[in-house]
Amino acid sequence: MASEAVAVQNLVKRYGRFVAVEQISSSVQKGEIFGFLGPNGAGKSTTIRMLCGIITPTSGAGHVAGLDIFTQSEEIKHNIGYMSQKFSLYEDMTPFENIRFYLGIYSVPPEKWKERTHWVLEMTRLENAKHRLTRELPPGWRQRLALGCALLHEPQILFLDEPTSGVDPITRRHFWAFIRQLTTTGVTVFVTTHYMDEAQHCDRVVMINEGKIVVSGPPSRIVQDMFTDRIDADLNDVFIQLMTRNRS
Amino acid sequence: MNLIKIQAISRKEYYHLIRDFRSLYLAFIIPLLLIFLFGYALSLDVDNIQVVVVDHDQTDLSRDLIQKIGASSYFHVIGQVADDRIASRYLDDGMASVALILASGWTANIRADRESQVQILIDGSDPNFAGITRSYLTAFMLRYNQNQLLGFLNRRGMEPIHPPVEGRIRVWFNEDLESRNFIVPGIIAIIIMIVGAMLTSLVVAREYENGTMETIRSLPVPAAEFLIGKAIPYFIIGLIDVLVSILMGQLLFGVVMKSSFWLMILASSLYLGVALSLGLLISSVTKSQLVANQIAVLITYLPSLLLSNFVFPVENMPRILQLVTRIVPATYFIDILNGLYLRNLGLSTLWPSYVILTIMCGALSVLNLIVLKREGL
Repeated sequence: MASEAVAVQNLVKRYGRFVAVEQISSSVQKGEIFGFLGPNGAGKSTTIRMLCGIITPTSGAGHVAGLDIFTQSEEIKHNIGYMSQKFSLYEDMTPFENIRFYLGIYSVPPEKWKERTHWVLEMTRLENAKHRLTRELPPGWRQRLALGCALLHEPQILFLDEPTSGVDPITRRHFWAFIRQLTTTGVTVFVTTHYMDEAQHCDRVVMINEGKIVVSGPPSRIVQDMFTDRIDADLNDVFIQLMTRNRS
Repeated sequence: MNLIKIQAISRKEYYHLIRDFRSLYLAFIIPLLLIFLFGYALSLDVDNIQVVVVDHDQTDLSRDLIQKIGASSYFHVIGQVADDRIASRYLDDGMASVALILASGWTANIRADRESQVQILIDGSDPNFAGITRSYLTAFMLRYNQNQLLGFLNRRGMEPIHPPVEGRIRVWFNEDLESRNFIVPGIIAIIIMIVGAMLTSLVVAREYENGTMETIRSLPVPAAEFLIGKAIPYFIIGLIDVLVSILMGQLLFGVVMKSSFWLMILASSLYLGVALSLGLLISSVTKSQLVANQIAVLITYLPSLLLSNFVFPVENMPRILQLVTRIVPATYFIDILNGLYLRNLGLSTLWPSYVILTIMCGALSVLNLIVLKREGL
């Protein structure tokens, strides 16, 4: 399991009689960008929240960074970064104060605080805005800050839940360039999205629908396997074909 | 217990406080308001009773009686009227609470050794007040008769007699029987409970309303650190309120604590712990600032005022209510405050109340942890 950043077998999450995630098995190699695709309500967020130690799975088994998702959720949270579009920074605090909060919560050693703060402000280009209230910043800036905060403690794995929804195309392009660069330092990235053009950035993707995996593999191979006769096909076609077929 | 995490959460809470001044206003205006209102308005002492007089007799003796009544510190003669009906209208309008009517021939009856009566009417709409007024008047008339008797014996050239038994009554613990001396400490109990529970009732609900609870869940924040970190800024505010209240009680009302200052701080800290964990619990359960705030005020203010032995004696309540008073934290804190303020007692007598407050604080904290754990912290 040493080379796997994430490994899950038969993962199930039930809420009463509703099955949110049904028997998912998958693994993510260290240093890869792994895309988790599917329509709204397919179970993407539930899965990522189980992996991040936010909710406990109903059954199955899983390890993140070599830690058990059933019993070691606290340790997992120290070893991963998690960023969600739904998830908010403290808007009545400045970027600087938010950064300080995360440094404390991640228990980053105090002697590294100055260096890490500087690194995040540089990376997010927020040096000049660090003493303004976060609620006054444009959404794109806030998103960069949220990403920066999730990386403060130099996590091995970065989980991104719909990180770019509601963000303009330029910011999105910058974002993906940054993620690419991040993987060169050995960080594993696990990302959920329903933008298929973004999924092209991933080394490997898994598509899920109604809590089940419907297809997995590198994006280009998935497209080739499904549309052997078409050269102009892309992931969007795969997605639409799979999701509509499933529905009928 | 991770101190760095606790510090991070406390600092965050401090930023919320200074960025939104409304909470801070409440934290300092409520104590001042309550001290002023209760301290000045709530007095259970009966003095300065307004008396209206009808003197049909108009003799030296009748004037002497009226003058003696007016000289007492409990009574104030507001004036004389000519007619009984006017006097009764004074009572109707509440301008006087006692009417004293001397019939004509009153002095003549005394001189002739016949029975002689003074009619005294008391406004009984406040039974407590009327009862006390009646005993004051009874005592006054007794003394007046005694003096008359002594004067009579004196005039006849006889030795003054001494009453065989004299009751030497001394009041302990609150020598001047000033109700203020127990009201002012009681206000402290109400202030801490309201401020503590009301302010903290907002803090977890705010995370839910702003969507930041999801942030907290995704971060390595154990429930215990979360609770303690959130409570610390409000604990400091609460202790400042305690000090302000002690000081105001002393400066405005001259109510001075007799026992140890540190025992007072210990008791206040425990009681504050109860108030803060109660507020946090309400906040975690309701997840709405508005609802939490209203519940917090409702379940702290009224029980602390009515069911804590503060103004209304528990002994006079029905059995079932007496049992309820046992779970009201203010009951134990007021017991401690009475001991510290009035009786100059120490831990050797007051320890049971300290222990009960500690248990309450512990139990509420455990409940808090259970609720937060179920919410995924």
